Amino acid sequence: MPARPESGARYRAPPVEAIRGLAVLAEPPTPEHRAVARSLGLDGPPSPAHYSDLFLFQLYPYASVHLGAEGMMGGQAAARVAGFWRALGYEPPPEPDHLAALLGLYAALCAREAGESVNAEARLLRRSRFVLLHEHLAPWIFPFLERLRELTDGPFHPWSRILESVLRRELEEGGEDDVDLEVLPAHLREAPPLADPRREGATDFLDGLLAPVRSGVLLLRADLARIAQDRELGLRAGERRYALEHLLSQDAPGVLQALAEEARRQALRHRRRCGWLGVTARFLGSRAHATVTLLGELADEESRDGAEGRTGVGASGKGGGS
Amino acid sequence: MSIDDLERRVSAAKEDVEGRGETFYPGASRIHLAAFPPKERWNDWVELDSRSWPERVEKRYMLVPTTCFNCESACGLLAYVDRDSLQVRKFEGNPEHPGSRGRNCAKGPATLNQITDPDRILYPLKRAGARGEGKWERVSWDEALDDIAGRIRSCLEEDRHDEVMYHVGRPGEDGFTTRMLAAWGVDGHNSHTNVCSSGARAGYHWWMGMDRPSPDHANAQVIVLVSSHLETGHYFNPHAQRIIEGKKNGAKLIVLDTRLSNTSTHADFWLSPYPGSEPAIFLAVANWLIREKKYDRSFVRRWWNWQEYMEEVHGERDASFERFEDVLRETYAQYTFDFASSESGVEEGTLRSVAETIATAGTRLATHNWRSAGAGNLGGWQVARTLTLLNALLGALATEGGTFPNSWNKFSPRPPRLPHQHPRRWNSVLWPDAYPLGLMEMSFLMPHLMREQDAYVDVYFTRVYNPVWTNPDGFSWIEMLTDERRIGQHVALTPTWNESAYFADYVLPMGHSSERHDLTTYEQYDGQWIGFRQPVLRAARQRLGEEVHDTREVNPGEVWEENEFWIELTWRIDPDGSLGIRRFFESVERPGEKMTVDEYYGWIFENSVPGLPEAAAAEGLTPLEYMRRYGAFEVARKVGKVYEKPVDDTELEDVRVDEAGRVYTRAPVPPSPRAPGGTKIEPDAEGRRRVGVRVDGEIVRGWPTPSGKLEFWSRTLHEWGWPELAIPTYVRSHVHRQNLDADQMPLISTFRVPIQIHTRSANAKWLDEIAHTNPLWIHPSDAERLGIEATGELVRVETEIGHYVLKAWITEGIRPGVVACSHHMGRWKPEGQEGQRLGMMTVALDQDGSRWGLSRTKGGGPFPSEDPDTLRVWWTDVGVHQNLTFAVHPDPVSGMHCWHQAVRVRKAEPGDRYGDVAVDSEKSREIYGKWLEMTRSASRNSPDGTRRPYWMLRPVRPERSAYDLPETEEAGV
Repeated sequence: MPARPESGARYRAPPVEAIRGLAVLAEPPTPEHRAVARSLGLDGPPSPAHYSDLFLFQLYPYASVHLGAEGMMGGQAAARVAGFWRALGYEPPPEPDHLAALLGLYAALCAREAGESVNAEARLLRRSRFVLLHEHLAPWIFPFLERLRELTDGPFHPWSRILESVLRRELEEGGEDDVDLEVLPAHLREAPPLADPRREGATDFLDGLLAPVRSGVLLLRADLARIAQDRELGLRAGERRYALEHLLSQDAPGVLQALAEEARRQALRHRRRCGWLGVTARFLGSRAHATVTLLGELADEESRDGAEGRTGVGASGKGGGS
Repeated sequence: MSIDDLERRVSAAKEDVEGRGETFYPGASRIHLAAFPPKERWNDWVELDSRSWPERVEKRYMLVPTTCFNCESACGLLAYVDRDSLQVRKFEGNPEHPGSRGRNCAKGPATLNQITDPDRILYPLKRAGARGEGKWERVSWDEALDDIAGRIRSCLEEDRHDEVMYHVGRPGEDGFTTRMLAAWGVDGHNSHTNVCSSGARAGYHWWMGMDRPSPDHANAQVIVLVSSHLETGHYFNPHAQRIIEGKKNGAKLIVLDTRLSNTSTHADFWLSPYPGSEPAIFLAVANWLIREKKYDRSFVRRWWNWQEYMEEVHGERDASFERFEDVLRETYAQYTFDFASSESGVEEGTLRSVAETIATAGTRLATHNWRSAGAGNLGGWQVARTLTLLNALLGALATEGGTFPNSWNKFSPRPPRLPHQHPRRWNSVLWPDAYPLGLMEMSFLMPHLMREQDAYVDVYFTRVYNPVWTNPDGFSWIEMLTDERRIGQHVALTPTWNESAYFADYVLPMGHSSERHDLTTYEQYDGQWIGFRQPVLRAARQRLGEEVHDTREVNPGEVWEENEFWIELTWRIDPDGSLGIRRFFESVERPGEKMTVDEYYGWIFENSVPGLPEAAAAEGLTPLEYMRRYGAFEVARKVGKVYEKPVDDTELEDVRVDEAGRVYTRAPVPPSPRAPGGTKIEPDAEGRRRVGVRVDGEIVRGWPTPSGKLEFWSRTLHEWGWPELAIPTYVRSHVHRQNLDADQMPLISTFRVPIQIHTRSANAKWLDEIAHTNPLWIHPSDAERLGIEATGELVRVETEIGHYVLKAWITEGIRPGVVACSHHMGRWKPEGQEGQRLGMMTVALDQDGSRWGLSRTKGGGPFPSEDPDTLRVWWTDVGVHQNLTFAVHPDPVSGMHCWHQAVRVRKAEPGDRYGDVAVDSEKSREIYGKWLEMTRSASRNSPDGTRRPYWMLRPVRPERSAYDLPETEEAGV
């Protein structure tokens, strides 16, 4: 029999197949996705174009993008996730931190737990999956899903709601014996704070701003496009970093102010999650709040000192972004 | 909708879709940690064309399953057939195959190299000059068939049945050719098994009545491997993946391998024993288990034939089990850890830890020996016998996580037109008097036995076999093959050129794994499956609506497949049916017409594979269409303890139970979808057949041994002249220290590299690039002692009959005092033969009486061909052919060639060149004679006037009367 929480609360079996189905839909669409989507109550699978727009251009479904200090795929965060796979005895797949892979692993652990006859083994597997949830999914997936819903009314909108409900329920299932929710996940513990460009240079600052684990803010291409449109600035095609630098070079105070407003909005969202996401949400809220403060200060300084202000941020888009 | 409702809904949808045989979760998905195209889209699968990169060009494929032919594992392959060109573009794994589960080793995908080899044999060839001269002319299949069939017909008409011989290397099929030989009435089945696995098989056979192990690695608690089995051995891929699963589940892995193999690197305990000492280690473990009372007393009491042993050996007819336990303890007390340590060189403490670990396994002990020590040593068959002793002590046989006998983990379906007759004549070249217990044909002794018996073979087929290169003492084979007084006609059935085909009269091109039909089933886990090898272009064209009647229509050139070949040949041997042979190859549906391969396999799949017709019908397919579409079918899973299964009442009629508890019945054998086979247990004096054994009052199936029990003590060995070896015991190897001169070392020559095939992969460019040479593994301390200063230095290895010259590889990965060289490399073609260029050196062969020399005149290297890659070959070293320098070492009991060599290693002498081989075949005849002196012949030791115990396995079983010793052999050696 699977291990049960010490509290004696009624054990709810994890929805393994629903998790697998949700995981599959985070993959590039194939004809088989239709049956999976329908079984989840969705009208149909997303079109390849819709998938590409969301997951290849706006929101990258990789833990390392959201939890790594670089804000990019790979790096130490991906290595940490790969190490987790190995610790469980699995050969890490080529992209061990992809959302589908992490959900697939979670489902696999649930299935192994259910099939385990030795109670101690089952308990070990149960702890393993809660560690996976707490360490490698929860610190990024909820802001990710929320932002996804802001971007689309298509099939990924209900998908993200279902996935959020499922993962929230799983988090709630974890007892004290399963995982210590008051211990900050390693990805967060290790992440340096957002750099102040006035002391550490514009490069570190901009890298950190685009790294959610440092800034507490998940900035999308769509955010930059909206800021450009609102402030009637030109938006250059390219990576977010490149587009952001160009925006700052055109109107540093205005863009910094707009970024601060977005950070404030996201800080509020983090705070709303504190009740059920605990220390993780508090950490990210705190980071976002610090970002709001820093961006506000920078905006003020840039306003006072003009386009070539002392912060260095406004000049970051010129001369090749040193 | 609640989450639980959602879960129910997704689960129901999944069940519904998968119930229709379709894929719910798509293949190229991360959730299963694997990527396979969903089977519903195998007909039209789209991928980007790698060759068009960086442009994104879509290629459309038809995915057609087949079965790999590059080792005996029979893993599933999926051929990617280009829908535009109808050519195979690549091979990947077949996820529907229960044994390999979509995973393959490098040899599977390299099938593409073999089918596109620019030097492959595309047409039937007939020699145009003297045999071996290298002159060939293309002939039609009709001409070849008529010639060969005419000779065979004459043999059969003139009662010269034993002048027809079929010598197989890689069988890759389950019984078609043995049934064909039975239909011909020819006792001419010759296999390679006595240079391969007979040692291990014999050890298993005398315990269980079945001759192969099937370890349930995935569920084991402790895994013991004798050899580098995980990464290079038999059933390498299906077993390796399950060994890793077992390890992931916490199993401990114990590996005995003198070399630091890849498998050893995965081990919890790597033991590097002195070669041949492995049984001493197992006996020490057994002694400890017995002494510490760590064994399963109930299992031993119920299932060992201990009563028989106590009565016959100790004269105690009514001995109690407790008395037997005392005897057991005393018998094995001599095998202490100290003794095993002194024999093996492994520390006593390590051996104790190994024993303690094995004791934790309970019934989850998975063990395996195939070649390795079992194939290397005099008495090597005791490796499997002593290893199985551990399973038998723990009751870990046919248990979850234990070791199964092969027959319970495979399924050989019954074919149509099953031949019922048996050859009338005994073939003494294959089953000579001196080796009555030899598990298989004494194939590697053939040149010696032919000479000794002044025998003649009129038609000799080598079929995917290369005895000149593979067997020890290859020059004696050349002498025999070129002697037309010994071999009338040599027909080489082979997909690629090889060293034996150069000495053939006909070279007939046969298909690779994607160009032929075969049915396979092998023991790889506790389940039963069948795999279907098929010509994929035939299946692809049939899917497109074309009719294909002959596989040559779709294969390259005039490459054929064997079943159609054998059917056609048989019809030409017996065109009017007057020999009574043709009828076994006639259509069931249209009597008087030839059986087609479609009908043959269609009949089997419809009539002999339980569950397959139903599974096919669920998808709206015929069973044959199902197998052509998926390539494999799992017949059963979790077979469990067959020996404990009660015998059904319907099989108990006029029952007699003898004193040993063996149960005999008059009830007929119930109809079975399985092909007949296995041991032949004699009926009782009144003609009842044995149906089981009575154990603790219950009638159960038991084991297919003479006693019906596990034979701790073998009456067969006892009565046929080997009483001292009748229980699991230790035989000191011919390379034991006491048998070596001070300057000699044992040479291990049996190990494989995981990415080569014995003799059919020299034309696989991808495999060659990875591994193409075979240096001498030598420990730094030995290198220093011998003055070998650096890796790459030339050394001379001297054997009993000659020497060879190769490069040293100084490595700590080998036990000090032992050297090793893989047998996989050193392929060659004689000067003047066109043959194959990739992976082959060109050599000069020199003969002066019995003195032979082989010297390399040209190495490998680049060459122009239709494949631009052949100009990119960057290596010239293709290794050294060492087996030529080995004399024959037939084990006097099992008949296995004992491969390990006692050698002297020296620095190369002036004038020695890399690849040189020198041999005196007269010396090889002397060595043959020395080993012959150890035998105990049937004519002197047979307890019942027969040539061989009737119960023992035999691929083609002659009539019962043919077993009787002829009077003229009574005084034989």
